[in-house]
Amino acid sequence: MKKKLEQIKENALKEINALGGLKELDEVRVKYLGKTGELTTILRGMKDVPAEDRREIGSLANTVRESIETALSNKWADLENAQLLADMEKEKVDITLPSTGTKKGSLHPLTRFNNKFMEICVEMGFTVIQGPEVETDYYNFEALNVPKNHPARDMQDSFYITDNILMRTQTSNMQIRAMEKMKPPFKVVCPGRVYRNDSDSSHSPIFNQFEALVIDENIGLKDLMFMIKEILKKLYGEDIKIRVRPSYFPFTEPSIEIDATCQMCQGKGCNLCKGTGFSEFFAAGVVNPKVLEMSGIDSKKYSGFAFGPGIDRSVMVTNKIPNIKYLFRNDMRFLKQMR
Amino acid sequence: MKVTYNWLNDFVDLKGISPEEVAKKLTVCGLEVEDVIYMNKHLHDVYVGHIDKIEKHPEADRLFICQVDVGFKKVQIITSATNVFEGANVPVSLDGADLANGVKIKPTNFRGVQSDGMFCSGEELGIDENYFEGAGVNGILILPSSFKAGEKIEDALLLNDVVYDINVTPNRPDCNSVVGIAHEICAIFGLPFKDFDVSYKTVGGNVNNFVSVDVQTKNCPRYMAAYIKNIKLERSPLWLRSRLFGVDIKTINTMVDITNYILIEQGQPMHAFDYRYLDGKKIVVRQARKGEKLSVLNGNTYELDEDVMVIADENKPVVIAGTIGGVNSAIADDTTETVFECAVFDLKSVRLTAKKFGLRTDSSARYEKGVNINSPTLALRRALHLVNQLHCGEIVDGIIDKCSKRLGESEILNISYSKVCKILGVDIPKEKMLQILNGLGIVTSFKGEDILVCKPPILREDIKNANDIAEEVIRIYGYDVYNDMKGGLFENCTTTIGQFEPRLVMENNFKNVLVDAGFYETLNYSLYTASACDKLLIPENDERRKVIKIANPISEDMSTVRTVMAHALLLDIAYNLSVGNKDLRFFETGRVYLPKELPLKELPVENNRLSFAVCEQGYDFFQLKSVVENLLIGTSLSYSLKRSTQPYLHSGVSADIVAEDGKIVGHFGKIHKTVLKNYGISQDVYYGELDSDYLASLPEKVYATKEISKFPAVERDIAVVVDEKIDNETLMSAIKSACGKIFYDVQLFDVYRSEFLGADKKSMAYKIVFMSEEKTLTGDEITAQVNKVVRTLEYKFGAKLREI
Repeated sequence: MKKKLEQIKENALKEINALGGLKELDEVRVKYLGKTGELTTILRGMKDVPAEDRREIGSLANTVRESIETALSNKWADLENAQLLADMEKEKVDITLPSTGTKKGSLHPLTRFNNKFMEICVEMGFTVIQGPEVETDYYNFEALNVPKNHPARDMQDSFYITDNILMRTQTSNMQIRAMEKMKPPFKVVCPGRVYRNDSDSSHSPIFNQFEALVIDENIGLKDLMFMIKEILKKLYGEDIKIRVRPSYFPFTEPSIEIDATCQMCQGKGCNLCKGTGFSEFFAAGVVNPKVLEMSGIDSKKYSGFAFGPGIDRSVMVTNKIPNIKYLFRNDMRFLKQMR
Repeated sequence: MKVTYNWLNDFVDLKGISPEEVAKKLTVCGLEVEDVIYMNKHLHDVYVGHIDKIEKHPEADRLFICQVDVGFKKVQIITSATNVFEGANVPVSLDGADLANGVKIKPTNFRGVQSDGMFCSGEELGIDENYFEGAGVNGILILPSSFKAGEKIEDALLLNDVVYDINVTPNRPDCNSVVGIAHEICAIFGLPFKDFDVSYKTVGGNVNNFVSVDVQTKNCPRYMAAYIKNIKLERSPLWLRSRLFGVDIKTINTMVDITNYILIEQGQPMHAFDYRYLDGKKIVVRQARKGEKLSVLNGNTYELDEDVMVIADENKPVVIAGTIGGVNSAIADDTTETVFECAVFDLKSVRLTAKKFGLRTDSSARYEKGVNINSPTLALRRALHLVNQLHCGEIVDGIIDKCSKRLGESEILNISYSKVCKILGVDIPKEKMLQILNGLGIVTSFKGEDILVCKPPILREDIKNANDIAEEVIRIYGYDVYNDMKGGLFENCTTTIGQFEPRLVMENNFKNVLVDAGFYETLNYSLYTASACDKLLIPENDERRKVIKIANPISEDMSTVRTVMAHALLLDIAYNLSVGNKDLRFFETGRVYLPKELPLKELPVENNRLSFAVCEQGYDFFQLKSVVENLLIGTSLSYSLKRSTQPYLHSGVSADIVAEDGKIVGHFGKIHKTVLKNYGISQDVYYGELDSDYLASLPEKVYATKEISKFPAVERDIAVVVDEKIDNETLMSAIKSACGKIFYDVQLFDVYRSEFLGADKKSMAYKIVFMSEEKTLTGDEITAQVNKVVRTLEYKFGAKLREI
């Protein structure tokens, strides 16, 4: 009996091992474990086994059955896996075929730059504000220490609407509006469009500016320099080098212009930077005390500084845009490169 | 402002300082040198040559073989020029020369005869008759016999100077002169200023016997005049012509050239009258009278009025003050006596005149920047010194000086040293500060420990307070000091909390939604053509027809301030189609500018809007609608759609977005065919727009969620046949209310039309989802509810249930 069981086990395992398909597997199961299967038949014959052997034989029979069942189920899993692999092989696709569904569009490079710049400023404690583009002469010029007929008006040809209302020539109007509205100390940053009545290959009559203003006690040129350095580092990395030139703006004194490593050529010298390796990034200065007083801020107690990058130019160098006209032309062949 | 290196050298000894270094330092210290022009750039390898012998070319009729002595060697030149002769001095360009007209010289063989170079015309040297006699002839420039063979042509013709084009900022009118820039160079390099000669000899007499000056307007704070007789008008000497040529001023004759020389050197405009034509021997400075006319030297005649200041004689205007002289009193070849004017005119008045006539001269440009009241004092004497030097006339004793302001002294400023340091954030040593300020001519000393007593030069009207002094100090001290400075970013700044503007945040969310939906952001001008409203079919009585006009537009297509967004994106689409770009999805954030009344009295409302447009094969209204829904889902707006009346949209395929308060906060749909035609677009365009300001004013969207029912949802489909005119929204809300409490959702899944249904009929198929929060619904309950829905639709809309 024992021998018979061992034999069944050996035969069954051998057969299972040799199987190639799920169907045959079932046949084997029936052959051994089915109602009339070999093992079942033996187990049925247990009643003929002497009582003293029954326990041992029974236990052995169970072990044999378990071995066969385990072998069957392992083989089952193997075969099923093989089938799956075969099926998957059939479903294989050419992964280099194009994707379907909506392709993403793109943000304008100006938006990308503005957002990055604003994020840096907001992190540093600036509040973003915006204001009118159609502006009174007072906010655009007079309150910024540019009275009527002042020679400084030559620096900015304006689009006039009436004698007293014009398209703003600078976002600096927001300096005055901020000073009138907010209590110092404060930091504001004002992105926006400005308009100048001149146009040539390197200037567009409408362009974008950023105005940042800080009013506080005891601040001066040094604090301005630190802040500008920090912003440039965050925009272009730690290695950026800067260079300062004196300049003149009626509403700041001292006034400076800040050049930084040209991002078009990484300082190697190119057409844009006329080979100097530096290109202009910021106009800046310490707020003229006259301007503070005109806007109702006590210039004995408070001082301030203001700065503004030339946005369009920065966008150009940041994205290596070959022609400033691309910014307003909205040609898909350009915009697609900004995805 | 253009000045030359040699001219500057008259006032500051530049020995050992190269032209490049001067330019570099000027820029670093605030006078930006925009261009450095070498007058001799195209003159290297060109020499004075003496023609020893001329022979005919044996093989060519029109060519001559010339043996030429260029000092250091003899050369052979082949020429076709006919104005050369044996013994003549001519400019000879040799191997390596690179002439102003682009010609590069190398030895050449002309029919078997070698030519070592070329003779030059004036044009080839970059000069004209005005600069040098003979330079304008059609042929070779014949040089004076006094020129020495072998001399470099740049030295012989005094074209060896370097010209700086300097961008002088408006706060420094004093630097619109050679003298002013020389003073800066002295301060920068720590060199002494060489005083210039203003001495002159007179021949007796009394100026007052010849001319009187009467200033009748407040726009002329100072008027100085001198009288010169027996004048000889000649070509000015070469050194003077060279200077004026370098700064782009045409030379005319000694007298006129002197006034221009003073303009550049001293920054003081001058004028010379022909005394013969001054009626009544009088100079009257006054505002013009309406109706007066003056023909001036640029060939134009101007109608004058009270806004224009003129110099007149007893009867008539002779000069537009500070701007341009009249033909009726101009210096002519036969002029023998002249009155020199050296005056200060109010910058506002000169500016107004320049603007009125669109006329800007070297003189008016200078006055517009502000000429200091003290400036004529030395300038006139300097001019008279030149009259002596050039021997071009006899100066009568005395100078007329009508001045209504105090002269000579500048205000003394008391400035806190520590405040200057605080403004700069740099502790500049006291000694250094004194040295810098005094070097700039700001006479400065300490009073006590902290007070700087400063007396700026009389021409430096821009220095008024501690900030001004701080700037003077740091620009000379050098901004490099900040490069290696230690210290913290927020060392002195109070901590503030940063914040974005809510609308910008919302717009950025919109932008991301659109970018994900395949849209590209564009940037468009907010000024546009006056015809935009016409193109967009905006009716005459529409508010958007109230358009702000630019008074001085740059061009018609940028002449008005936009009141409608759609124009820009339609132009973008038309442009992109024209260059062959396809599948266009664009958006833009921008403003429209809506005046309350015209002409503008107060500032207009500036309304921020989002616009988007699609031009793509197969795109339809409902795809656009999904974009709109995806944009608005992020806001707390509850809205309904109404058929749009936007004139530029297709009336049947467009919708207005209406907020609960009735305000139309946007619209979208297909662009009207006529509009497309107006923009030359031959494909359908879908367009939409939202009012960002309105949407940003809404409270932030609050998310409040409900428990998910434990009981299953059951779906039933029905299809009903209804009249075409009944819209989906109406049917859906009827279904919803007929479903009662167990309504969960309803979706339209099919619209079907066929002749079997009948004309003007359609079948609408809905999936209705039922669910209870209290129990599992039985089939009977649902069937009963569906029947109720069908009955309701039958009753309300005459709908017929259709088997599916």
